[in-house]
Parts: sequence; structure tokens; C-alpha cells
Amino acid sequence: MEKTRKKTKPGTIVLFAVTVILAFLFIYPVLFALMSAFKSNGDILKSPISFPRSLYIQNFKDLFEQSDFFTAILHSLFLTVVSEVLIVFIVPMAAYGIERRQSRATALTYTYFLAGMMIPFHLYMFPLFREMKLLHIFGNMAGPIISYIAGSIAFGTLLYCSFLKGIPLEIEEAAMIDGCTPFQTFWRVTFPLLGPCTGSMVILNGLGIWNDYLMPYLVLPSGKAKTITVEIAGFVGQYTARWDIVFAGTVISIVPALIIFCMFQKYFVKGITAGAAKG
Amino acid sequence: MSRKHKFDKTAFVFIAPAFILFTLFIIVPTVSSVYYSFTSWDGISPTVKFIGFANYKEIFTSDRFGNALKNTVILTVFISIFENSIALALALIVDNVKWGKNFFRSAFYIPVLISGIVSGFIWKIMYNYNFGTFNAVLSNLGLDGWKQDWLGNSSLTLLMIGMVLIWKGAGYYMIIYLASLQSVSPELIEAAEIDGASPWQRFKSITVPLISGAFTINFTLSLINGLKVFDQINVMTDGGPGFTSETLVYLLYKVGFNEGRQGFGTAVGIMLLFIIIVLNTIQQKFLRSREVQM
Repeated sequence: MEKTRKKTKPGTIVLFAVTVILAFLFIYPVLFALMSAFKSNGDILKSPISFPRSLYIQNFKDLFEQSDFFTAILHSLFLTVVSEVLIVFIVPMAAYGIERRQSRATALTYTYFLAGMMIPFHLYMFPLFREMKLLHIFGNMAGPIISYIAGSIAFGTLLYCSFLKGIPLEIEEAAMIDGCTPFQTFWRVTFPLLGPCTGSMVILNGLGIWNDYLMPYLVLPSGKAKTITVEIAGFVGQYTARWDIVFAGTVISIVPALIIFCMFQKYFVKGITAGAAKG
Repeated sequence: MSRKHKFDKTAFVFIAPAFILFTLFIIVPTVSSVYYSFTSWDGISPTVKFIGFANYKEIFTSDRFGNALKNTVILTVFISIFENSIALALALIVDNVKWGKNFFRSAFYIPVLISGIVSGFIWKIMYNYNFGTFNAVLSNLGLDGWKQDWLGNSSLTLLMIGMVLIWKGAGYYMIIYLASLQSVSPELIEAAEIDGASPWQRFKSITVPLISGAFTINFTLSLINGLKVFDQINVMTDGGPGFTSETLVYLLYKVGFNEGRQGFGTAVGIMLLFIIIVLNTIQQKFLRSREVQM
């Protein structure tokens, strides 16, 4: 440690320079989208790599005037928030049941859930849609929400089970002796201790729902705005000559994810590493 | 004892909602897709006709499936190799850089946050022949001869799509490598340093064996994610030009929705699941054999 104040080694500076260049290359496409969203269509075409000349917001005005993008934003928010609330209600309880009641049946359930991680959505989507039609949840928000919950169970259970292992049983036993029902014990005593795990799951899962394309595209009713991602995909085909509008939509899709990431970075890292440790 | 017995019953209640949803909306459609793969179902009509192994026969004889399988293998292997080498390099860089560790880690992770559709759109514009970034940069460097229709050139299309995925995915795997690099104890490295091991020797003999678990996991994850790529292909090329970027998932989607052959599409899906199961089994074997060594 005493060495640090001495002269920095040339290797350190070279490494730093390389890192800066690499970081720029990685961020560049995002910067490109952000910059283009504030340029006129003519400027995007003429000088793709220059900075916007002024804060030009006509693209956003056009976006909201020429399409029902506002509805798409509401839909994306609704799908993400409602799914996550229900997931937080259902998944941790299941993991608690599995982890705190070690038996053959729960061990089998755990394996059964984890096997679900292997199944690609594309494999079962056709039969799933048929099932949704039978249950009258095709063509409305309920279909995607229920599928998102079902799709979150495998990863969520894995995450919660591994976190639950680190929570001492004594606290729960004390609560039980004080007369709490298992349900109360879980929600009042254990669940609050699982905060970081809940954070990780909600953030990683929520990002997946926010960014999802195929499910809302195929399940939500056509002829109306669906979600942000679906609208953008539609624009790409439709407004082939109006990239400015598409870039404005792109920014609206990216910025919320960026803000959440900046606020809750550690949860991203925790969730990914915990998932990989067991995956 | 009696309290424990009571808890057993409630444990069942705790698990039931997840169990029911998971079974109804993942397992039931998966199992029924096995059935649909033996039918000529079009996805709309209520009647489903059983046609035996015809779909599978078509899979093993048709050029289109063979082409999609070839494209999938090229794309997946390309992505996995580069995603992992770049992710490992980024992890080593972030682990060793002196200033701004957290900033750089975030910078490399940012592409992971972007949706497949949006990332596909951004890169599609950057690849554009007349107005794209790539050709603009080449022009500025005086390399006009290198200018390309990046997505339209059928020998480049798959690699260009692969680049988007590598850019978008590397940050995710970097986090996993970084976690395992940080679990390598500094004493071990110091001891080797004192014994006179060069940086390369230290990397090869200490770091590599210790992060091999992360490597196995990341490689499998990136292979499986590579098999499932859909959004970027959809927005960038729609499987073209011709069929040059049509992968298994894209073939499944196209025959299912554009050609009304969901029975055949489902059979393609079964092949995909089969490949994923094989990859997972290999990964488990690898991880287990390592555990024995350590």
C-alpha cells in the first residue's frame, strides 16, 4: 500500500488507457442512440457520428403525435409492475416451503422447477397460446402476466433457496413459539430479511419483462399499441425513412432501465452471481 | 413434534400456487408440444390431425432445416467463443485497472440492459450502407474500399448479428468471471510472486484453474442463449438475405406464424430442447469432474 503514492508504473497507465477505449466502444452504440434521438432526420443521415447541434425535441413530439406510444408505455409499465408484485407474492413462499421443509417431495419439486430453466419459450409457445385461448386469457394482459409468473419460478426459486440457507432458523422458531402462524412467520420475520434477494430477483426479472418482445407481440390484441418494445419493432418496418422517431422511442425504452441500474447496481451483481453459482 | 407436522401441511400450501402455475403454463404446454410435433396442426383450426413421424422425417431430410441448423451452430459457436474471451478479458481488466473500477464495470454492463429489439435496431442503423456509422468511420479513415453492405452481404450477415449479441452479452458473463476472480485469495497470488512466478505463469497456474468453474457455467449459458437468439434477427434481417440468417428458433417462428405449420414448428422446437439438454448434461459432467479434482 505504501507504494501507491510513488510514481505510477507505465503499465498501469497503458491498462487504464486501453480500458477507457474499450469502455467507449461499449457505450458508443447507446450514445449513438441517445444523440440521434435529439437530431433531425436529415442530421442523422448526413452526419451519423456528430453530436446534436441543439436540444432538438421534435422527434419526441412526432412520436407521441403519430403513434399511440403513450399507451405502449402504460402497457409496458402495467405488465412489468403487476407481474413483479405477483411474483414477489408467489415465488418466495414456494422457495420457503421447499427450503424449510426438507423432504423427498420438496427436493423433487425443486428439481422439477429447475428443469424448467432448460425449456425454451419458443418450444412451448404454440401450445401455450392455444391453452390461453381456451382459458380466455389470450388477447388481454392476463395472458402475458400469468406466463411471466410461471416463467419466473425456476430462477426465482433457485435464488431464494440459496439465500434462505443463510438465514438462521432460530429467529423463525422464536416467532413460532410466540404464536405466529407459519404464514405470519414467513411474511413478518423471514421475508424482510430476504430484501437483497427480492431486489435481485425483481430487478433481473423486471428487466426481462420490460424488454420482452415476442410474448406481448403475439398475445396482446392487434390493431392497438402493445408495448414499447413491440412498437419500436413495428416502427422499424413501418417508418423506414423516419429513424428520428424510432430513436426517440429507443431512448424511452433504454432510460428507465439505465436509471434502475444506476440506483440498484449491487442487486444486479448479486442476482447474476447467485444464479450462476447454482445454475 | 406436533408443530412440525402442522408446518408440513402449510409447506404444501406455500408451494402450491407456484407449483400449479408452473405446471399449467410451462410443463403442460411443453408436454403437449411433444404431441403437436406429431401433427399437421396449423395453429388456428380446432381439429388437429395426427401424422406420425412426418414432421421429423421432414426435419432430417429438408434442406431448410439443415441450413437453419448450420446457421445456428455457426452463430452460437461464434458468440460463445468471443463472448467468453471478451468477458474474461473485461473481467481481468476491471479487476486490475487502478482507477474507476466501478465505473468501468458499469460501462461494460450497460449493453446488457438494452432490449434485443432496440439493440438490433441501433446496430442495424450503424451497419447501414449509406448512412451508417461503420461506413462513415471507414470513409473518414480513407478506407472507402472496405465499405460494405454489412447485413446484406450474405457471407457476413451471421457474424454481424453475432457481434451485436457479443456486445450485448459480454457484460453479463464479465460479472460472473469477476466474482470468481475476486474469490481467488490474494495470498495465493502473493506466495507465487515470492516464489518468482511471472504474471503469465501466475495467471495460467492459479487463476485459470480457479475460475474454470465459472468458465464452464458461462460457456454453457452463452451456448444456450445463443441457441435462443430471436429479437435481433427479427429486427435486423428477418432471416435473410434469402435464408442466410435463419436459425432454428427463427425457422420455428416463421413456419409457425407465417406459414401456418405449427405442428412442424413444434417439432423443430423439440430438436432445440434436445440440443439444450445435451449441452446441460455435458456441463454437469464437466463441473462434477472438476469437483473431484479439487
